[in-house]
Amino acid sequence: MSIVSNIMLQSTIDLNTLFYILYFITFPIFIFYGQRLQMMMSLSEVGRALNRLMMMRDKARKETIDYIKDVGKAPNDPSERIDQFLDYVTIMPVDLDPSGIVNKIDHIVTTKDERVRAEVKSLISDTNPVTLSVSENLLEVASTLNTIHKIVRHYYLLGKKTNSYFLIYQLQMIMPMILQEADALLNAVDTFKQGQPVGDGIGPLVVSRYMVGREKQPIAKDTVMAVSEYKGRKLYILKAEGPMGYVGQPGVAMRRVIEEMGVKPSAIIMIDAALKLEGEKTGEIAEGVGAAIGGIGVEKFQIEEVATKHKIPLYAILIKQSILEAITVMRKEIAEATDKVIQRLNRLIEEKTKEGDTVLVAGIGNSLGVGQ
Amino acid sequence: MSVIEKRPKLIVFTIEECPVCGQKMKRPFQAGDYITKETTKCSKCSNTLRISLIYAENAKQS
Repeated sequence: MSIVSNIMLQSTIDLNTLFYILYFITFPIFIFYGQRLQMMMSLSEVGRALNRLMMMRDKARKETIDYIKDVGKAPNDPSERIDQFLDYVTIMPVDLDPSGIVNKIDHIVTTKDERVRAEVKSLISDTNPVTLSVSENLLEVASTLNTIHKIVRHYYLLGKKTNSYFLIYQLQMIMPMILQEADALLNAVDTFKQGQPVGDGIGPLVVSRYMVGREKQPIAKDTVMAVSEYKGRKLYILKAEGPMGYVGQPGVAMRRVIEEMGVKPSAIIMIDAALKLEGEKTGEIAEGVGAAIGGIGVEKFQIEEVATKHKIPLYAILIKQSILEAITVMRKEIAEATDKVIQRLNRLIEEKTKEGDTVLVAGIGNSLGVGQ
Repeated sequence: MSVIEKRPKLIVFTIEECPVCGQKMKRPFQAGDYITKETTKCSKCSNTLRISLIYAENAKQS
């Protein structure tokens, strides 16, 4: 028989008492050190997620370098320039006096876009505009993933350094959402490289049907316009120029059509992708009022301003999809919603306007893989 | 932290449509395809086919 069993038999201590003693020993340990144990577990979980973010960033960076070298036919090794680019910073204007801030943001963002385009043009020797736009998009994805990784790493290290459980716990709580978005961005890399339309391109896809066979003219940077007709109404159709991966300047385009060309539309109808809520189906269509456009807010401000100034009703048709579906290759459910959206658009035009009226229809979104 | 669910494999298809007789053809996506691009001749009426849709569907569905 073992020594322990002998001692137990000889003493009055039984198994129940032993567990009772163990409980009393471990209870204070968990009271005083429980939070530290939880912190170690949270740190480990966040650390693993941080490693994943680093791998995602590195993969996006490699894919971008390979694309610029192989397809862009870069004459020199672009790795160093791309690494510098990944750390580019856009400093937003001060908002102490918000009056006029939209114009300042517009100026900063336009400067940034022009700089990016000039940098990419200097890196690649292929003059194909699709290659240029895809290179820009890939750089943007890699840069965003780099920023996400840096910010998460900052808070992780800060929490570790200061032993701040609440900082690490908050980071742990939002990590699933961050990883989801990072994963969506990484999946977008393949789609951009192939030049395939993305879910966000549903707006341009719908309006391209009205533009086929019509004369197209540039109306703003990376934006084209065509004039069409539907049941006695004159339609001014706007979309970003495809099949390049640009979103164009629909706000500037609308202002030019209305204020410089003197067109007086009876309605502005915008077609865009919208993020679906959990439980909603991909490809569901919703109608509403207001400027259906995302982004930083500059284009939205410009559209709302011109519509308000000229008292033009703003209507929206939205096609629901998730963030992953919006930035990766267009899913069948979204593509098949095109005909339904066209029916809704036609019905909206018939209901809200009369024969002889002018309607401005804008297909909002990224025009990658969608011509006109 | 397994929030990245396993996604089914997607295959990308191109739908070509004849603007005159409405005949549709579905084929795998090729590099260079884009919507509204004119491609080959329609087998029915010999007008030029145009790419009307490009989308991805699950490998099982296709």
